[in-house]
Order: sequence, then structure tokens, then C-alpha cells
Amino acid sequence: MSEHGHHHPAPPSAIERRVAALEALLTERGLVPDGFIEDVTRRYESEIGPMNGAKVVAKAWVDPGYKERLLADSTTSIAELGFGGPEGSNMVVVENTDAVHNVVVCTLCSCYPWPVLGLPPAWYKDPPYRARMVREPRTLLAEMGCELPGDTEIQVWDSSAEVRYLVLPQRPAGTDGMTEGELAELVTRDSMIGVARL
Amino acid sequence: MSEPLTLSELDLPRRNGELAFDAPWESKVFALAAAVVDHAFDGDREPFRQQLIKAIAAEPDRPYWESWTAALESLVQTLPAPS
Repeated sequence: MSEHGHHHPAPPSAIERRVAALEALLTERGLVPDGFIEDVTRRYESEIGPMNGAKVVAKAWVDPGYKERLLADSTTSIAELGFGGPEGSNMVVVENTDAVHNVVVCTLCSCYPWPVLGLPPAWYKDPPYRARMVREPRTLLAEMGCELPGDTEIQVWDSSAEVRYLVLPQRPAGTDGMTEGELAELVTRDSMIGVARL
Repeated sequence: MSEPLTLSELDLPRRNGELAFDAPWESKVFALAAAVVDHAFDGDREPFRQQLIKAIAAEPDRPYWESWTAALESLVQTLPAPS
């Protein structure tokens, strides 16, 4: 609050002016229908996110038949739960076990399974993560708080092809009596990227 | 950027991580790219992805959504001129 008692908005920055120019140009060309921007923003801020992937994981934990289908044909099995769309047309689910820990990266840009995880976190898009997860995954995982036993093999999946990967984390011990809904609450975004264990 | 959060901002989902966008121009340029992919490229994301890879490689330390903006500007250059 300024001493005048009202807020003076800052003038638009250079990047804001560039985006406004793009919006004006694309709207003039008829490529931006009314309400499109608001609709896309709302969906990615409130409907599409890691809670979708958590439902997939919880179902795989409680339903062995679903898990088998999920690992064999991930895209179709994820679509069974209603999740699909941009950046999700060729999904592969990779399963963590005692022997193998999977982790996902996109070395060239920011490819990420939007329908089940939403948009990627800032660190996923940053150069250090993209370079180091390939070069020294065990060290980087430990720095991120994911210490793995020395005999656990780390498998790094680079999303830079057509494929988008989702990690199926191991079901935590002591959750035998929990419902699918309760289990979904336990599943974090980071565990489905593979930078955390549950 | 450190102004108190409004109620509507607090209502947005933060569980499992951060918000998708830090500023309105970021969500706008994200949606503009979606509009171009959907309405000028029939949903084919690959041309935009190639521009994004180039934009990030050109300036690896540039903030992500600025590279995204540069990629969209380059992609728009490739569109046929309006008749």
C-alpha cells in the first residue's frame, strides 16, 4: 500500500510487452478463440496435476490386473481413468522395485506427462537438473533427499523422444488396510518423477 | 513479488508442489502456444517442441518462460502470411 492509499501498477516489462504483442498478432489471425487463454490456464492450475497420476498409482497398487495392463499398455490404461491429451499420447510407466529405481528427465527441454502430472516444476526445467540427472544421478538424487541403497540400480529415462514416462513408486510398508483413495493421498508428484521414494 | 497472497491465490492447488505459473504473462504465453499448436498445427506439438529445444540451447540460463516466449515468436515466423 503506498502513502497515497492506492496501488500504482508497474508499467509492463519487456517480456510482458512481447507476450502482449504475440497475443494481439495471434488473435488477429483468428488462432485464439474467445475464452481460450482463461480456459487453458484454469485447467492447468486446478484440474490437471499430480492428483491424476496419484490415482493411477493407487489403482495399480490395489488392483494387480490393472497394474499388469498399466505396465504393458500405459497410454490406454491411463485413459481408462479419464486422463489423456497433450503430452500424454505415448505414455510409458516404469516400476520401481527393491532392485531398480527409475527417474525421469528431459535433457533437451521440458517434456513431461502433462495429463497425469500437470506442468513440470521449475527445477525440472533448469539446466543443472537436466544435465546432472544423466551424468551423476545417484549424487543428485541424494542431494534432493532421495538416498538409495548402494546396490539399487538407477535407471534414468530421457523424455526427449516421443515417449513420456511416469514412475510407479513402491507401495509404502504398513499401508495394507488403506483404501485406494487413502493410498492416492500418499503419492507425491516427486515420487512419480522418481526424485523421491515413499 | 512479495505482496500478501489474496484468497484466490491461496485457493490454487499447492499440494505436491508449486503453482504452474508465477506471473500472468507466463500462463498467457503457455496458453498462446497451446492455441497455435491446436489451431495452426492441428495439435502437432513437435514443431513447437523443436523451437523450444533451440531456444533453450541458444541461451541455457535464460528463464524458462522467456525461452518459451522466444520459441513461440520463432514458430509464429514460420506461419504462412495471412491472405
